[in-house]
Amino acid sequence: MTDGGHLFNNVSLEGRGGTNPGQIKFSSIGLLWKKSGGGKAVEVDKTDISGFTWMKIPRTNQLSVRTKDGLYYKFTGFRDQDVSSLTTFFQNSFGLTPEEKQLSISGRNWGEVDLNGNMLSFMVGGRQAFEISLADVSQTQLQGKNDVILEFHVDDTTGANEKDSLMEISFHIPNSNTQFVGDENRP
Amino acid sequence: GDGRFSARSSSELVAYKNVNELPVRRELMIQIDQKNEAVLLPINGSMVPFHVATIRTASSQQDTNRNAYIRIIFNVPGTPFNPHDSNTLKYQNCIYLKEVSMRSKDPRHSNEVVQLIKTLRRQVMARESEKAERAT
Repeated sequence: MTDGGHLFNNVSLEGRGGTNPGQIKFSSIGLLWKKSGGGKAVEVDKTDISGFTWMKIPRTNQLSVRTKDGLYYKFTGFRDQDVSSLTTFFQNSFGLTPEEKQLSISGRNWGEVDLNGNMLSFMVGGRQAFEISLADVSQTQLQGKNDVILEFHVDDTTGANEKDSLMEISFHIPNSNTQFVGDENRP
Repeated sequence: GDGRFSARSSSELVAYKNVNELPVRRELMIQIDQKNEAVLLPINGSMVPFHVATIRTASSQQDTNRNAYIRIIFNVPGTPFNPHDSNTLKYQNCIYLKEVSMRSKDPRHSNEVVQLIKTLRRQVMARESEKAERAT
């Protein structure tokens, strides 16, 4: 590439609406993802990027991009060699070293809840089971003394191509848990 | 193999050991992996595996707009037959995922998913209780 950028042709944007295939280009000014066949595009200026995270998922790698506004994007479809070349590129061009996270594969339903900005991560044995953006939460409820319910916006506008979409999730915090500082009243 | 289930308590059951053992996803929809006894739920663009032994009940419902709803309730301490009641101390600072509700565009798929979860769960529970009996 003439401007020292990196182009990847089979990178999907993932989200609550489903998976959108497309292509992504990283250059010295930031990143640009375009949906195959036109339509949706995501453009993030390098000055708006607050961090990157890599995660290995079955057969491929996922890149999460966090912005200073608290938004985040997930892109899937990077090979192992792309991970190392992009990591070097992010360090050199953006001055950012990506974090590495591992996907929880044990299948357990108990762990810890981490809150980082408006991202809630459910961590099992130090590995990430899932992340939820609190921006997608329409309502939180406390049920009894121990259960926190998160309800999600039902979004029919994103051209959702996922068959099953998340509506509600609840966490149980046992009485024995003295570490949870309590975020029942957020957001 | 048999070695994977040598653990005594069902709370020790593990779905996968390596990330590449997970099924390649075709679509963002609930998937059942019989071989690894796992239920994979699409959460925020990722497929998240849960061992079927962590699930207490699964049910489906349908509304008048042909939307189907799938509700999965997980085992948490303080409910009957929970694997953690015997050694709660070890898990005292944990938070549990208790329930996940999803809306499905496909009522047939949602019924099938619920039936598969129930059958798989029954098989695993029967095997584990048999194993526990033999051990005593």
